[in-house]
Amino acid sequence: GLRRCLISMDMRRIEESFQGIKNAIQAKDTFQNVTILSTSETLHSIKPLDVCCVTKNLLAFYVDRVFKDHQELSPQILRKISSIANSFLYMQKTLQRCQEQRLCHCRQEATNATRIIHDNYDQLEVRSAAIKSLGELDVLLAWIDKNHQGTSA
Amino acid sequence: VSCVSGGLPKPTNITFLSINMKNILQWNPPQGLQGVEVTYSVQYFIYGQKKWLNKSECRDISRTYCDLSAETSDYERQYYAKAKAIWGTNCSKWAETGRFYPFLETQIGPPEVALTADEKSISIVLTAPKKWKKNPEESSISLEQIYSNLKYNVSIHNTKSNRTWSQCVTNQTLVFGWLEPDTLYCVLVESFVPGPPRLVQPSEKQCVSTLKDQTSTLKVK
Repeated sequence: GLRRCLISMDMRRIEESFQGIKNAIQAKDTFQNVTILSTSETLHSIKPLDVCCVTKNLLAFYVDRVFKDHQELSPQILRKISSIANSFLYMQKTLQRCQEQRLCHCRQEATNATRIIHDNYDQLEVRSAAIKSLGELDVLLAWIDKNHQGTSA
Repeated sequence: VSCVSGGLPKPTNITFLSINMKNILQWNPPQGLQGVEVTYSVQYFIYGQKKWLNKSECRDISRTYCDLSAETSDYERQYYAKAKAIWGTNCSKWAETGRFYPFLETQIGPPEVALTADEKSISIVLTAPKKWKKNPEESSISLEQIYSNLKYNVSIHNTKSNRTWSQCVTNQTLVFGWLEPDTLYCVLVESFVPGPPRLVQPSEKQCVSTLKDQTSTLKVK
């Protein structure tokens, strides 16, 4: 079957950046009754075969939508978010190479999971959606760490 | 019973204390109410769900903690909790925690440690800590099943030379060799999971003596 395409990335550095802004960002998210990643319906039901495609789609979701839609006044928070965004760009390049070697096949399950996330995002006002997605980075990073283990430091 | 909200100051420093997924909500009494017999009520919220839920066992309690382990046992979800102070017909506004994510925030307790000594080596067998469970009859879940990258930091101390060294391992059996015979060694073990920083709980210190050197005892005879 398709060999999983794994990201080799220092997750600790990204996690550290997020830890520095977690409370501030999550405190700005006032819609506690809504989630973007809605883990039980999406991330937790992803099969190993779909990990690469879902990772690729989620990185694109953050790079192309969340980081762009988020407006931040605090320079400290902005610096941390930029560091995370750069790490995501690096991971995207890694997965790009996998895709060229046809190791990042996208099945319907992966596409469905990604669409749920985009639909959740679209249901909120864009700034609130961006803040909520940033506040859920710990969930995403834990999922990437768990599914791409053996490669992170 | 309804009360006048905001008539009292809020509880302070409300947080989850989580060890092996045993999740205790704790707080400090409101400031400036020493000697006043305040009681508290607690609610919790599952992130992404619709409404706050009462914790009935923590309604009008005088203690400043509440066990929410059962309500927060799905460790891959996130939660909020809140408490308010009540005194007569007055009550405070709610004091609320930040978002609590047990999977990333629970402290990993120490493993069980079994030591066996030889003349020049000590064998150590570690048993991973267990996840909190509601009923003793339930089958145990080892934290190893939850964290496949669970590791142990094993440190050993030679009480004669006062030297300490340590080793980070993932497997559960290891042998420290090239030790001095007839010497007391003490061992401490910490479990940890690579990832966001967590508070660490070292094991109880355990000591064992290596056996006397048999060759030297034979020569003496």
